[in-house]
Amino acid sequence: MQMVNLKINGIEVEVPKDSTILQAAEKAGVHIPVLCHDARLNPFGACRVCLVEAVGNPRLMTACTTPAAPDMEILTNTEKLQKIRKTVMELLLINHPLECPVCDKGGECTLQDLTYETGLTNVRFDAEPNNTEVDHTNPFIERDIDRCVLCGRCVRICDEVVNIQAISFVNRGTETMIGTAFDQPWNCEFCGQCISVCPVGSLNNRVYLFKNRPWNLESVDSVCGLCSCGCYIKLDHEGNEVFRMNEAPEEGANHGYLCAKGRFGFEFINSMERETECRIRKNGDFETVDFEQALDTVSEKLGAIKSEYGSDAIGVLVSPRLTNEEAFLAQKFAREVIGTTNVYSLEPTTSLPEATYEDVENSDCVVTLNIDVTESNPILGLAVRKAARMNDAGLYVYYPSETALKRVATEMHTGTPDAVYAAMDELVAGKTKAAEALKGAENPVVVYSPYNTADLYYAQELKKAYPSLKLVAARSKNNSQGVLDMGAKNGFGPGLKETERGVNLRKGLENQSVKALICLGENVAVRTGWSEIERAYSHLELFMVTDPFMSETAKRGNVYIPVATYAEKNGSFTNLEGRVQEVQKAVDKGVCTDSDVIAALSAKLGKELTADVDEIREMIRKENPLYKDVDFNGGLVKYPYAIKGEFEKETVAAGEGSFYLYPAALRLHSGSYTRWSHDLAKVYGDAKLIINDKDAEAAGIESGNEVAVKAGDVIRVFAAEVDKNMTKGCVSLPEDYADTADLFTKGRVLKVSIEKSG
Amino acid sequence: MKNVFDTFFFTEILQGLGVTMKHFFKKKVTYKYPYEDTPVFPRFRGIQYIKTDEEGVTKCVGCYLCQVVCPSECIHIVTDCGHKGQRLIRKYELDLSRCIYCGYCEEACPVDAIHMGRDYHTVDNTRDNYVVNMKTLTQNYKKEQKMAEAKGEQL
Ligand code: SF4
Ligand code: SF4
Ligand code: SF4
Ligand code: SF4
Ligand code: SF4
Ligand code: FES
Repeated sequence: MQMVNLKINGIEVEVPKDSTILQAAEKAGVHIPVLCHDARLNPFGACRVCLVEAVGNPRLMTACTTPAAPDMEILTNTEKLQKIRKTVMELLLINHPLECPVCDKGGECTLQDLTYETGLTNVRFDAEPNNTEVDHTNPFIERDIDRCVLCGRCVRICDEVVNIQAISFVNRGTETMIGTAFDQPWNCEFCGQCISVCPVGSLNNRVYLFKNRPWNLESVDSVCGLCSCGCYIKLDHEGNEVFRMNEAPEEGANHGYLCAKGRFGFEFINSMERETECRIRKNGDFETVDFEQALDTVSEKLGAIKSEYGSDAIGVLVSPRLTNEEAFLAQKFAREVIGTTNVYSLEPTTSLPEATYEDVENSDCVVTLNIDVTESNPILGLAVRKAARMNDAGLYVYYPSETALKRVATEMHTGTPDAVYAAMDELVAGKTKAAEALKGAENPVVVYSPYNTADLYYAQELKKAYPSLKLVAARSKNNSQGVLDMGAKNGFGPGLKETERGVNLRKGLENQSVKALICLGENVAVRTGWSEIERAYSHLELFMVTDPFMSETAKRGNVYIPVATYAEKNGSFTNLEGRVQEVQKAVDKGVCTDSDVIAALSAKLGKELTADVDEIREMIRKENPLYKDVDFNGGLVKYPYAIKGEFEKETVAAGEGSFYLYPAALRLHSGSYTRWSHDLAKVYGDAKLIINDKDAEAAGIESGNEVAVKAGDVIRVFAAEVDKNMTKGCVSLPEDYADTADLFTKGRVLKVSIEKSG
Repeated sequence: MKNVFDTFFFTEILQGLGVTMKHFFKKKVTYKYPYEDTPVFPRFRGIQYIKTDEEGVTKCVGCYLCQVVCPSECIHIVTDCGHKGQRLIRKYELDLSRCIYCGYCEEACPVDAIHMGRDYHTVDNTRDNYVVNMKTLTQNYKKEQKMAEAKGEQL
């Protein structure tokens, strides 16, 4: 790399060629004030706050955009510069409303800080505040255009990083403001990236709005528990209330970016609907009992069942909400305390992580197979976009309808699911442009859903054809990967070692050989393939459910124990890259964690299991070869395989009907946690049936109408949403709702008939 | 020598008695509190009041500045967002039993809402009554206004 030498305030520095003066100053440890600059965005040079002087050059230059040249001598704090900076600030403040006491940005406002830094006390110009109405119509973003300093950070991040281009500068000159084209409603991904970069109180987080002030909040570093992306976050809390799930700019695997769920969906942690007391079903009704009583009941029942039917009549079901430590403890509890191999997870072990975000970002050819990645895994989606935009990588998208990746995709293969599979067949056969690109690429990456056997087949075929290819299994839940690694899976011990297989959960429930099920956090009733098993539960003599809320599944159990969310416990999660990251306790809502429940239950059954995170981690290191040398604070696990197994190429949709139905991901929901957030529910509360405008017209359906979907003997009713981007002849529904789970139990892709109802 | 003289004739005690006698015949300054109010000096800092606007709405905007500046941590504010996106004050509590009447809250308030009043009648028989809320503080404003009016002053 070519380097240049220059002097900043007399300090010699050497920086790579193409660095800006600002970067050089950073290296020299010299502070230059900035307002419009953000290291994650392209240089812009709009605010002039960063002006510096180069010795021998009468013109001042902006440090954030000017490249460092050899032998430059830069001065950053001369009297002349101080004066000019002051004037720049004065000009910025002419039409700034200065309502800092009311403004939600007070305490973390760059404009405030700069005013203080420049020592500005008196503005020489007459104030001329605008008086535009504050826009409160958006559920997540409050927009007070008067406070805007036109730094363009929001516009740039929405374009350069999120690539949605929802907002832009509108009008010219003094009329310039930030808005949407033709003043349409602000309707976008709601990722809130624009809020996070706005240096002033122009774009505010509505969920946090006026709730507190930054100096009151304490912050804990943690990991978002809402999807498998594993974003590094700051949990801002005061007392035992979480006020914000905040980004840590530029930090973590997610570079400080978050999605709508992570940024706005935290409210469920503080929810008043959360349970605090244990329940036991007596004569059909739930009765409130204390923790001890609940555990006594469970341990007595377990003892009785064990002596009557043997320990294989007991099963432990682990949800991906549990931390690695908890999952490890849960399988230990099943295998060593109860003495059964019946430990279950609904996650498949057929595919394991191979590529990291970095691999995706630096890839020169990305293929996404049948997955709407920006919706299902938004931060992985950002990496895909970055690859396609920043390195001009070829991006080949296979998906039934048009997705947000359309703007950056080299090729988009849409059509009915059968047509998409046909296109994927061609890709595998190596005949298409995408196949050429994969062949020629140095670091090709394929993103697919590990939940769909048909897609697994294609991913495996591609892997065989292009060995340099890296596969990304886009798992859905926060610790989908970790619970498997910890051995909370039938037939797999810690470290994914194959062990003796227990009773198959579905069969065991159906033939009633499983008499007791301990369900740790899993909401089985809304999981595809499991929702209709309700009848099978009724014979269970013990169905214990732990969940922070009275979930659909908890209502069907006979013992319920409320437990902590990820904000209330220590431990670690493993994300879709196989990255292990630490979760930290921020608040205490007066309920125990799943590990407390397991430990207390073990003690009652006569065996001590520790609930201490460090001790469990010690055990993991000993018993789990995959985690032997892994750093729990951001380390990557090395997996033995990327895909394993034989897969059928079952591409023909099941059922009869004139429409194809396929599951689509919902950015604002990822399972059952997010649905307890009223803020997210404002935009997407219930499952909606997406239908093409032409099809809707033909069937006389309008947005909001109730539509009955019939797949074989299952009929369910949903509200319709008409969407032009939907492929003709197809409809989609999100997964993880009780009703949609019933439908998708019939198959991943279905032929259904729809009818306007009511 | 002088020492012996002083010791012998109790001159110091006589001097002291002299002072006592002098005050004995002066006009008395004892106030029969609580039947009688003591005068307060112009810069005296008493119980706070919070100003209201013409419509009787509190001027406080809930910015938390008084809370953060208060050295004895006796102010507790809880705010929220209203339907129309306005800053709402859900709770404003001031614990007079902890307050050291330093007046920092008055200094810090950017909107001229909280002020140190002239009232010093804090005595009460339970601690709970020392915690006053926004209602009391704005009522104090009315009281202070009346007191000021009686003296022909303006707040
Ligand atoms: S944006 Fe900053 S300077 Fe402007 S009113 Fe808000 S806090 Fe004050
Ligand atoms: S919320 Fe995200 S998508 Fe919407 S305007 Fe802001 S940055 Fe763009
Ligand atoms: S809204 Fe904020 S980020 Fe966007 S241009 Fe204005 S000040 Fe900058
Ligand atoms: S006078 Fe001082 S101690 Fe009393 S409330 Fe105000 S800031 Fe706090
Ligand atoms: S400083 Fe003034 S405006 Fe702010 S909270 Fe205190 S009394 Fe209210
Ligand atoms: S920070 Fe350089 S011009 Fe704004």
